[in-house]
Amino acid sequence: MSLKDLISPFYVWQRAFEKPYTQKRPIEDRPGAPRYRGFHMNSEDCIGCGTCESICQNRAIDMVPVEGLEQRPGDSGLRPRFDYGRCCWCALCVDICTTRSLHLSNHYAWVTEDPDAFHFTAGTDPMPWNENSLGYRRDDDYHLLVHDRIEMEMLGPDESVRGFDEVMKGYTEEQAVLEADRCVECGICVATCPAHMSVPDYIRSVRKRDYETGLRLLYETNPFSSTCGRICTHRCETVCVMGYQGDPIAIRFLKRAIVDRVPAERYREILGDDVSDNGRTVGVIGAGPGGMSAAYYLRRLGYGVTVYEAQARAGGMLRYGVPSYRLPDDQLDKDIDYIRSLGVEVRFNTLVGRDVTFQSLLDTHDAVFLAVGLNQPSALRINGEEHPRVLSGLKVLDDVANGLDPGIGRKVAVIGGGNVAMDAARVSRRMGAEVTVLYRRRIEDMPADPDEIHESQAEGCTLVAQAIPVEIKPAASEAQVTIVWGEAEMVADDKGGRPRPVLQEDRMHEETYDCVIAAIGQGGQIDFIPSDYREQIEFKWNKFVPGDYQQTGLAKLFVGGDIANSRADAISAIEDGHHAARGIHRFLGGSADA
Amino acid sequence: MNTVDEILDFAIEREQQAADFYSSLADRAQSAWMKEMLLSFSQEEMRHKGKLKSVKLGDRLLKADQHVQDLKVSDYLVDIEPTADISLQDALIVAMKREKAAYRLYSDMARTIDDPELKQMFLGLAQEEAKHKLYFEVQYDDQIMRDN
Amino acid sequence: MFEPTPQVDLSSGKYLKLWQGPQHPGITGNMALELTTMGDEIVDCKTHVGYLHRGFEKLMERRTFIQNFPIVCRIAVPEPTFNEYLYAAVVEELTGIESPERAEWIRTLNLELMRLASYLMWLGGIGAAFGQGTVYQWTVTHRDYILDLFEEMTGARVYHMYIVPGGVRGRLPEGFEERCNDVLNRVEKLLFDVEKVLFNNFVFKKRTKGLGVIAPEMVDQYGITGPNQRAAGFVRDLRRDAPYLVYDQLEFDVITATESDAYARSWVRYQEMHQGIRMLRQCLERTPREGPFQARMPNVLHWEVPAGETYVKAECTRGEYGYYMVTDGSEYVRRVHVRGPSYTHAIALMEKLAVGTNIADTAGLMVSLHTYPPEIER
Ligand SMILES: Cc1cc2nc3c(=O)[nH]c(=O)nc-3n(C[C@H](O)[C@H](O)[C@H](O)COP(=O)(O)OP(=O)(O)OC[C@H]3O[C@@H](n4cnc5c(N)ncnc54)[C@H](O)[C@@H]3O)c2cc1C
Ligand code: SF4
Repeated sequence: MSLKDLISPFYVWQRAFEKPYTQKRPIEDRPGAPRYRGFHMNSEDCIGCGTCESICQNRAIDMVPVEGLEQRPGDSGLRPRFDYGRCCWCALCVDICTTRSLHLSNHYAWVTEDPDAFHFTAGTDPMPWNENSLGYRRDDDYHLLVHDRIEMEMLGPDESVRGFDEVMKGYTEEQAVLEADRCVECGICVATCPAHMSVPDYIRSVRKRDYETGLRLLYETNPFSSTCGRICTHRCETVCVMGYQGDPIAIRFLKRAIVDRVPAERYREILGDDVSDNGRTVGVIGAGPGGMSAAYYLRRLGYGVTVYEAQARAGGMLRYGVPSYRLPDDQLDKDIDYIRSLGVEVRFNTLVGRDVTFQSLLDTHDAVFLAVGLNQPSALRINGEEHPRVLSGLKVLDDVANGLDPGIGRKVAVIGGGNVAMDAARVSRRMGAEVTVLYRRRIEDMPADPDEIHESQAEGCTLVAQAIPVEIKPAASEAQVTIVWGEAEMVADDKGGRPRPVLQEDRMHEETYDCVIAAIGQGGQIDFIPSDYREQIEFKWNKFVPGDYQQTGLAKLFVGGDIANSRADAISAIEDGHHAARGIHRFLGGSADA
Repeated sequence: MNTVDEILDFAIEREQQAADFYSSLADRAQSAWMKEMLLSFSQEEMRHKGKLKSVKLGDRLLKADQHVQDLKVSDYLVDIEPTADISLQDALIVAMKREKAAYRLYSDMARTIDDPELKQMFLGLAQEEAKHKLYFEVQYDDQIMRDN
Repeated sequence: MFEPTPQVDLSSGKYLKLWQGPQHPGITGNMALELTTMGDEIVDCKTHVGYLHRGFEKLMERRTFIQNFPIVCRIAVPEPTFNEYLYAAVVEELTGIESPERAEWIRTLNLELMRLASYLMWLGGIGAAFGQGTVYQWTVTHRDYILDLFEEMTGARVYHMYIVPGGVRGRLPEGFEERCNDVLNRVEKLLFDVEKVLFNNFVFKKRTKGLGVIAPEMVDQYGITGPNQRAAGFVRDLRRDAPYLVYDQLEFDVITATESDAYARSWVRYQEMHQGIRMLRQCLERTPREGPFQARMPNVLHWEVPAGETYVKAECTRGEYGYYMVTDGSEYVRRVHVRGPSYTHAIALMEKLAVGTNIADTAGLMVSLHTYPPEIER
C-alpha cells in the first residue's frame, strides 16, 4: 500500500465548497424538454380516422363518439380516447396521425383526485395541459406514411390531341401495389362514396395481388367497375385522409387496377353469378348506368329484366357523352356485356312514350325502374341563339360517339364549365380546332373534374373565367358567328350557396368563331308519364324526389340516376340502381337484406 | 294612391294576380312536373301576398334599408311568351322578369312621390320585389346554369 | 469443462444456506443467488432467474414491425438504446433499407451517450458495493445530466424510443452540441475525482484485486465478451473488429488489462468511459447538420418484411449484444432471439467465480461482471 493511495481520497474534500447538484423545486424549476413526450393533446383538425387506434400496440386508444360532434363527410364523428392504464407514451399515434392533429404536451407531472380521469378523450375533455404549446410533435422530415401518389403514365398533350386513344395508361402491377400500400385503411371514404364501396378492402386486395377477391368486392356494390375505374368523379378521394399531408390515394385508379387484371371471360367463374328465375319481371327504362345497375342486381335476385332503351347501344351518357379517350368503348362494353350475359334483355331503339307506352310497362311488369337521365340541353336564352353556328355540346359529343362529323370548324368557343363543356372542348381540340372555353364563374368553381380542367389546358384549350355571354350576332361570313360577352365579378351568397357572378356592363368583349358550343347544363324529359300519375309523384325543380329505396308515390315505380339525384354522376346512378333493386325486391315481398 | 293602406292593397292585388297567372299556366301545362313547378311558383306569390297582408295589419314592418344583390341574370335573356309547353328554364325566366318589372314599378313610384311615409312604403315594396327576383335568379343559377 | 459442485451435507451444521436476492443483490436487478456458506466463505452458488420474465420475444411475434420498436427498449432497463439500435439494424438488414448517414452519426452519438450513462450507473454500483456510497450519488447525478440530454434529444429520459428502423425520429435539438459538451466536461471532471477516491483508494484496491479472477481459457468456454474479456487480455471489440454505424470513422483505443480480477475489470471500464467521451466529442463535431435522417419508408401500418433470417450484433457496455431474427414475408416477425451478455456472465460465470469468495464480496463481484437480469429474461 502506497502513501498516495491513503491520501488520494481526501483530494475531493474541495468539492464540499462547490454548488450542490440538487434542485430545490424540481417540478417548477425544470419543465419538460420542448420535445418531451408528455400527455396527449388533440386539435380541431382531427377527423376521427382512427389510424392512431390501429397503430397503438398497447390498445390504449378507443375511437368513441363525442357529444356535440356529428358524423359528416370526411369525419367519422369519433375521437380518440386514451387509456393511461395502457399507454406507454411511445407517440406512435402522434407519428402516424394523418391530420397531424395529435401531439403530446411537455407537461411533466399530473396529480388528480379523480380515479377515473386517466381515461380521457384528448382535445375534448378538459385536461390541465390543453393549453400547452410545447411537447412532442412529429418532425417535418420524419414519416411513417407515404405521402406522394404513384404517378400513372399518360399520353403527353401533344400525343393525346392527335386522336381518341385512352389518355391514362393504367397502373402496372408494381405501381398499383405501391399505391395501394399507401392506404391506411381508415375507411373514411366509404361513407362519402355514393355507392359505399368497400374501398379499404378492395385496395387491400390490390396490395395482396388478389384480383379475384378484389373483383368480388367491387361487384358487391358496383357492376360498372371498369367504367368507374376510369371516369368516376371519385368523391372518395376528396375526403381521403392521406390528402391532408400529401396526395389522396388514387382510389379510382386502384379500382381500375383490379378490373384491368381480370379478363372478361373469367368474370362468370369468379363472381359465381348463378341466376335463377323467380318468375317475376321488372321493366327498366333507360340503359344508362342507373338502369343497367338496377338490371344487374335485380337479375341476380332472380327477376326477369327487360330494359327499354331509346338508343341503339347501351350505356347512356357514358356511351354518347363521355368520349372514348377517357372511356374506351370496349371498357364500357366489358361492364355492360357481363350484365347482359346474365340474361338481362335490352330492347334497343325503343323510346318509351313513342314505341311503347309507360302504361303498358306498368301493366306487363311487377315493377318499373326509371333512369332516363338528362338529355335535353338547356338553351342559352340570349338574343341570337337560333344562329345555325350555335351547337349543343351534347349533340357534338353524340355525333362524335356515333362516328359522325359534328362540323365544328377551326375556331371554337365552348360555353360552360362542366363535364360536357370540358369534353366538348377536348374533343374539338382532337378535331383540330383552336378552342376557347368561356365560363361564368371562377376556374375553381367549375363542376368539371380538376384533372379534366388541367388536361384540357395542357392540350391547349384556353380557359376564360368570369365571362358571361350576353348576345349572339351574325358574323361577316355565314359560316361564322360572333359572341358578345362581359366580364363578371363574383359576389358571395349570404345564404351559403356558391359565389355568384354579376355582369359588369362596362367591360364587354366581342369575338367571332366558326361555331359556339353551348354546354351550360341539361334537363330531363319525362312527358311520357301520363298526367294522371302526377298527383302521386313528388318532384322538385326538374327532378324526381324519390322516397325510401328510390320508390315514388306511384308504388310500382322506382326512379334513380341523373333524373332523380342532385349529384348527376355515374356512381350515384349506379347506387340508385342498386338501392332500387333492393327496394323492388322488398316491395315484391323479398327479404330485406338482399 | 294616397294612403299607405291603398298602396298595400294595390301591391296585395298584384301578388294575387301573379299567383293566378302561374296557376292558370299550371292548369294548361302539358308536362307533369311543370304543373307542379308552376303551382309552387303560385304558392310563392301567395306567400308574398300573405306577408304584405300582415304588414297591413301592422304585424310586420316593411324595411327598405337592406341592399339586395342584383345578379342581373335576367337582363340579357330573351323575353319568353308563356305557353302550355313552357319549360322550367323559360318559366324561371318569366318569373325573374315579372319580379324585375314589379321592382321597377315600385322604385319609379317611390321616385315620383314626395310624401316621405309613402315614399318609404314604395321603397320597401321595391326591396321586397328585388328579393323575390333574387330568389328566382338564384334558382336559375343553380338549376339551369349548373354547368355554367 | 464444468467442475461438479462439491457435495455438501447441510445437516452437518457446518454450512449455512443464504439467499441473496431476488431483490437487487448489489444493484443488478431481480435475480437471486442461492449461496451455501461455511463461515463467511461461499462454497457453492446457484443462480435463480425468472423473476423478471416479460416474454418480449414472444410478444414481438404478435406485433407489427413498427409496433415492436417501442417495446424493445424495455428489454434492458439501464441500456434501452442498444436494443433500439439492434432492432432497427436487424429489420433494416432484412428489408434492405439503409438509414442515411446523418442518422448513423446521430445513432452513434446516442449509443455512446448511453454507454456513458450506463457506465456511470455501474460506477456508482461498484463504489456502493464496496462501501463508497458517495461515489454512487455523484455518478447517478451525472447520469441524470445525460438523461436530461436524452430527454431533449428523444423526448424521454429512459425509454427513448428514438432509433427506429430507417433512421432516427428527429433531428438534434437546437444548441444540443453545446449542452452536451458541457455535460461531457462535467463527467470528465467527475471521473478524475472518482479515480482519486475509488481507484486509488487502498480499501477498494485491497478488496477488488484478486477477486473473481477469470482465467483466459475460460473466456471462450463461458462465452465472455466485452470488458470482462478485455480485462483478461483479449483485444476484442466489435466496434473495431466488425465496425457498424460510423465507428470506422472514429478514433478510439481498445482498452485491455491482464489481471482479469474485479479491479482490472473496473479499471478497463473506467478508461472506456474516457474513450467514450473522446468518441462523443468527435460525434458532436462531425454529425451532419443537414440531410435526411430517415430512409424512405413504406407505409408502416402494413409493412411486410421479406422472408429471411439474420443475426446482427453490437458492442454494448457489457459485451456482445445481438438480435437474431427470422421473418416469413408477413407483417409479423416469425421469431426473434435477443442475446444479452448478461446471460453468460450472470449465470454460469457467477456460479463459478463466487466459490471461494466471502459473503461481503458477492455483491461487488457481481457488479464487477456488470450484469443486468432484465436482458437475461427477454
Ligand atoms: C359529356 C358528359 C361527361 C360526363 N362525364 C362524367 C364523368 O367523367 N364521370 C361521371 O361519373 N359522370 C359523368 N357524366 C355523368 C354521367 O354520364 C351520368 O351521371 C350518368 O350517365 C347518369 O346515368 P343515368 O342512368 O341516370 O342516365 P343516362 O346515362 O343519361 O342514361 C339514360 C338512358 O335512358 C335512355 N332514355 C331516355 N329517355 C328514354 C325513354 N323515354 N325511353 C327509353 N330510353 C330512354 C337514354 O337514351 C339513355 O341511354 C358525364 C355526362 C356527360 C353528358
Ligand atoms: S403514445 Fe403509444 S401507447 Fe400511448 S396511445 Fe399513443 S400509440 Fe398508444
